[in-house]
Amino acid sequence: MYVYRIMLFLVFGGYLLSPLLMDGWSDPSVAWYRPFVIWGGLIALTLWLEQKRKLDER
Amino acid sequence: MSVEVLGALLLGLGYLALLLGCALAVERGWIPLRISRHPAVYTLALGVYASAWAIYGSVELAANVGFGYLAYYLGAAGAFLLAPVLLVPIQRITRTYQLASLADLFAFRFRSRWAGTLVTLVSLLAVLPLLGIQVKTMSEAVNLFTRSQAGPVVALTFCAAIAALAVMLGARHSHVHSRHNSLLSTMAIESVVKLLAMLGLGAVALWFVFSGPGDLQAWLEGPGYLAQARTARFDPAQWRTLLLLFFAAAFMMPHLFHITFAESLSPQTLLQASWTLPLFLLLMALPVPLIWWAAQSVNETLPFTAYAAYALSEHWWVGALAFIGGLAAASGTMMLIALALSGMVLNHIVLVARPPEARSDLYGWLLWLRRGLVIGVILSGWLFYQWVGRHHPLTSLGLAAFIGMAQCLPGMLALLYWPGANRKGMVAGLIGGVGVWLWGLWLPLVAGYTPPTLPLTPLTPTDAPIWYSVTLLSQSLNILLLIVVSLFTRTSEGEKSAAEACSVDAVIRSKRLPLEAATASDFSTHLAQALGDEAAHREVGRALKALNLTHQERRPYALRRLRDRIQANLSGLMGPSVARDIVDRYLPYRHDDAPITDDIHFVESRLEAYRSRLTGLARELDGLRRHHRQTLAYLPVGLCVLGDDEELVMWNQALSQLSGISGESVIGSRRDSLPAPWPWLLGSVLNEGPSPLYKQAVRLHDKDYFLTLHKADLSGNDSRGGSVILVEDHTEMKWLEDELVHAARLASIGQLAAGVAHEIGNPITGISSLAQNLRYDTQDPALLETADHIQQLTERVTKIVNSLVGFAHAGRDSPGLPRSPVVLRTITDDALHLIHLARSGEDVIFTNECTDALVVQGDAQRLTQVMVNLLGNARDACSPEGSVHITAGKQADQAWWCVTDDGQGIDPKVRDHLFEPFTTTKAAGEGTGLGLSLAYQIINEHHGRIEVASPPPGTSRGTAITLWLPLFQQDDQLPHV
Repeated sequence: MYVYRIMLFLVFGGYLLSPLLMDGWSDPSVAWYRPFVIWGGLIALTLWLEQKRKLDER
Repeated sequence: MSVEVLGALLLGLGYLALLLGCALAVERGWIPLRISRHPAVYTLALGVYASAWAIYGSVELAANVGFGYLAYYLGAAGAFLLAPVLLVPIQRITRTYQLASLADLFAFRFRSRWAGTLVTLVSLLAVLPLLGIQVKTMSEAVNLFTRSQAGPVVALTFCAAIAALAVMLGARHSHVHSRHNSLLSTMAIESVVKLLAMLGLGAVALWFVFSGPGDLQAWLEGPGYLAQARTARFDPAQWRTLLLLFFAAAFMMPHLFHITFAESLSPQTLLQASWTLPLFLLLMALPVPLIWWAAQSVNETLPFTAYAAYALSEHWWVGALAFIGGLAAASGTMMLIALALSGMVLNHIVLVARPPEARSDLYGWLLWLRRGLVIGVILSGWLFYQWVGRHHPLTSLGLAAFIGMAQCLPGMLALLYWPGANRKGMVAGLIGGVGVWLWGLWLPLVAGYTPPTLPLTPLTPTDAPIWYSVTLLSQSLNILLLIVVSLFTRTSEGEKSAAEACSVDAVIRSKRLPLEAATASDFSTHLAQALGDEAAHREVGRALKALNLTHQERRPYALRRLRDRIQANLSGLMGPSVARDIVDRYLPYRHDDAPITDDIHFVESRLEAYRSRLTGLARELDGLRRHHRQTLAYLPVGLCVLGDDEELVMWNQALSQLSGISGESVIGSRRDSLPAPWPWLLGSVLNEGPSPLYKQAVRLHDKDYFLTLHKADLSGNDSRGGSVILVEDHTEMKWLEDELVHAARLASIGQLAAGVAHEIGNPITGISSLAQNLRYDTQDPALLETADHIQQLTERVTKIVNSLVGFAHAGRDSPGLPRSPVVLRTITDDALHLIHLARSGEDVIFTNECTDALVVQGDAQRLTQVMVNLLGNARDACSPEGSVHITAGKQADQAWWCVTDDGQGIDPKVRDHLFEPFTTTKAAGEGTGLGLSLAYQIINEHHGRIEVASPPPGTSRGTAITLWLPLFQQDDQLPHV
């Protein structure tokens, strides 16, 4: 359940703060792949949490 | 028809034929199940979310709002990130109650067929623009790919092929909820194709149009800078609104609900999708800006921004890649929408308007209806494109669809997290929200008039687009009406129980209600009135098989589960509303005056199933519950618990062993349906009052038992009522008591006999003295002979009396008694005298073969007692005309003394504990089981030992018991006589 809370925090936090990130991404001088790197990091974090959840439920 | 058009047609139809081939390969098992049901296949099938919008619409959005196009992907990724708290609970409900669509779920939760119908209508209206997008992209892609105007016709051909494929993949079985491996695999293949197409187009953009990532970055900072700077950006509120819309669409669009829940493999697979689907979406999203930037760098003024991929290169294969990617996305979406919507329309519009009658071809009728609806849905998509879609951009069509479907979001969240929401609130909210959506967005889209000014528009920024105002107003009104109406109107009992069933944290508290049907066979008879004989028998058989029950099942608990299962199965077939109506009408509960309590056994079984989901205090409490349950289950005393309605709630292991009845077979039964003698026995203690029932004689598995039963009433404020009964097996104790009484009676008789013998001794002594005097008083030879005879007979009587007296005293423990020489033959004779006095076994022949020469050291009286016991056992073991031999001999400094009979021998099971107290093979009351134990003790006190051979060596039957005793060593002492 603690893992689920982290996910809830991530999703709602991301939902509220994502417009701030959007401003940064729209700047042409910023590396074009930056949003995807952040997104990839988020997926890696979710994968780690999923593994942790599996271990918790064993 | 030009060559290009023919080529595009063949390419598209060839691709669809390839899909059909793959589906058949899965269907026929050519592709192993471990591949077709692999979690990765499920994740890829979920990729159907990426419809033609992802191939073309995203590019259009990227052209308009830059990275704002990511909302489409991030919204869905967010929904799957929340899979443990959002999707898995929905999956649990849909699997438990066989709910295949959003309309099923709403109809089930809000206990209203109209709720299901309303959601179906909303879904139908919302999905039409989405279907229109798919047809539109197919048509316009054909136009661009072939540089012709044959798009609409070719798109119609594709629609026909897609409809045929959808019928073959998803409407070959009548049961909507039956998982179609071929459908899942086909959707996965479509996802792979569109992903490869997008990645291919991205690669073309990055390495063919640009010269790599560095060149792209240089273009962005150089020639492309101005174009990017001019691109509009989403207002934060609009961005969040879009995220919310796509979040809702990811699991609420009919086709996505179907693939996520109705076709799901397991909760684990869904949890795994929480990161695999976002990864898929990332890969799908990555090429989108690359395609747009590359197309922009090639040609700054593109007429169709959505189809920028066709402007990347003059090479035909680049266009073919975009064309196949778009077709894969569109065909997968259309097929799944058609299958999902056809089920919804069938269950919530057609069957509600015309309920099924008892007909022999019920399944076939449903199947053909469904096929017709599949074709109808796809055709309506093409018509929508023809009349409406071709005049609007992809973004407008897509947003109209997503905003319409999002009207179900408040109801869905209330369904999971607010048990207080009721039908009236949900319907009011949905009608309010949908009304705004229709008025502000859908009707202007269809009818082509200018969107009206909405009441909340002044609250939004002046430049806010209409979709944003409509979303804001419709969602606000929807939520407000849902809350207010739910709070101020009454919720029915049915809704409350459904709310508990759907609530994330609740365990269903099923009630122990009796059913009108008494057996599982009655179910078929009752259901046949609604479904017809064949369908009723099939449905009952299917439910029985799933529950592992038989047609003879009578247990109320099992019948209630059977009813639930049939309702769930019918729900998968006809929707929850019709299923509930049929089950309520034809399999009703009996409403008598019996007390209604919670179905504790069912609640426990659900708790066991939910155990892994419990955390914190709930988990601790569940641990305690399991501990207490185990304490009762493994209690070494029989225990059963009965409810107030006399339904059996618990039957522990000790009672299972004692009764020979397993707990699984009787839990949930009524007391009166238990095997004899339990109904009477439990009924007696229940009616007895507080006092226990002591030593009730019962016969269980061909043996007599004496059981003591204690009862306690489970009353109190928090109690669910009922009684707990403890069943103690007092059979052995009763037998021991009987034996002790018998032994005491024998001891009394022995004492009496000793007293009588003592009293007889005096007159016998007088008779002997008189006979002696007679010898002195006469010389008559005849009288002298008579006197001799009298003396001999009195000596014999004296001997017998002495033996009796001696035996009576022999049982007492007399430590320190002097050991004297004992002649074994004499002891044997004494014992035989006593045995003959018993007047039983007179037809058994005893032979004393001992010699006078064998003298041992010991207590003559106690050794006599040993021999009496051995001879008595030998006599009892022999059949009439049997024989018993007593022999003796010596070996080294020990004498052996053996009693051999030709009886039936000793049971091997008894032989191991032959010398233990109370071990006997005789019937109760005939033997104490103490004789051999006493013999063992006495021989042990004489420093001897006992050997048992049954049968003796060289024989096939009988028993030989040999006593080994130390020989008498002092020659000067006289032997005992």
